Amino acid sequence: MNDHFLLMVIFSALVSLVFAFIAKIDARQRGKYFLYIFCCFVLLSVLVGWLMYPFPF
Amino acid sequence: MDMESLPEQVEPIAQVEPIAPAIRVHAGILKTFSACLFGLLIPGMGHAILRKWDRALVFMGSITAMFAFGLFLNARLFNPDFSDIFSILKFIADAGSGLLYWLCWLRGLGTGAPAAYTYDFGNVFIYTAGLLNMLVVVDAFDIALGRKP
Repeated sequence: MNDHFLLMVIFSALVSLVFAFIAKIDARQRGKYFLYIFCCFVLLSVLVGWLMYPFPF
Repeated sequence: MDMESLPEQVEPIAQVEPIAPAIRVHAGILKTFSACLFGLLIPGMGHAILRKWDRALVFMGSITAMFAFGLFLNARLFNPDFSDIFSILKFIADAGSGLLYWLCWLRGLGTGAPAAYTYDFGNVFIYTAGLLNMLVVVDAFDIALGRKP
């Protein structure tokens, strides 16, 4: 399991699941919130990765 | 103003029942304390004591899975070392998982392989599992005090 992206997706899914169950009560709201946090995790990680690309360290 | 045009009797305004505030049910000191204590020891157990079964299952499953993933990814379980601030913080984050951490540590698991490709990822998984468990205990505390349904 050497794929960083896959590990990041697994990490995001597990953390988003816990956050959704802590923050929301209704099942539908939990689903929406889970998707929202999960997408934020993944998209922002990729974005920050590209922003760091020019730096040599 | 012509007084005859006014109605003789004014209809009384219907009494509106005030909206009842959310009922706060305090779980009791003993139950609150045991929910926090067992929640710290076993992820999700605090919610199970408060009979929030769905949350208990999700928290137990997610946090245990994160911890197991961390070990699988060659992470290191940091010892109770109080020599510098970073060691203390790493230990606190790791030990937040409760018995998961202590049992694995006592059995000598999680020695870590810093040269492994996934070492840092594994550490992050284990730190996050511990920190999430602390957050889950705070959530159980709020539920026990009736601040949350």
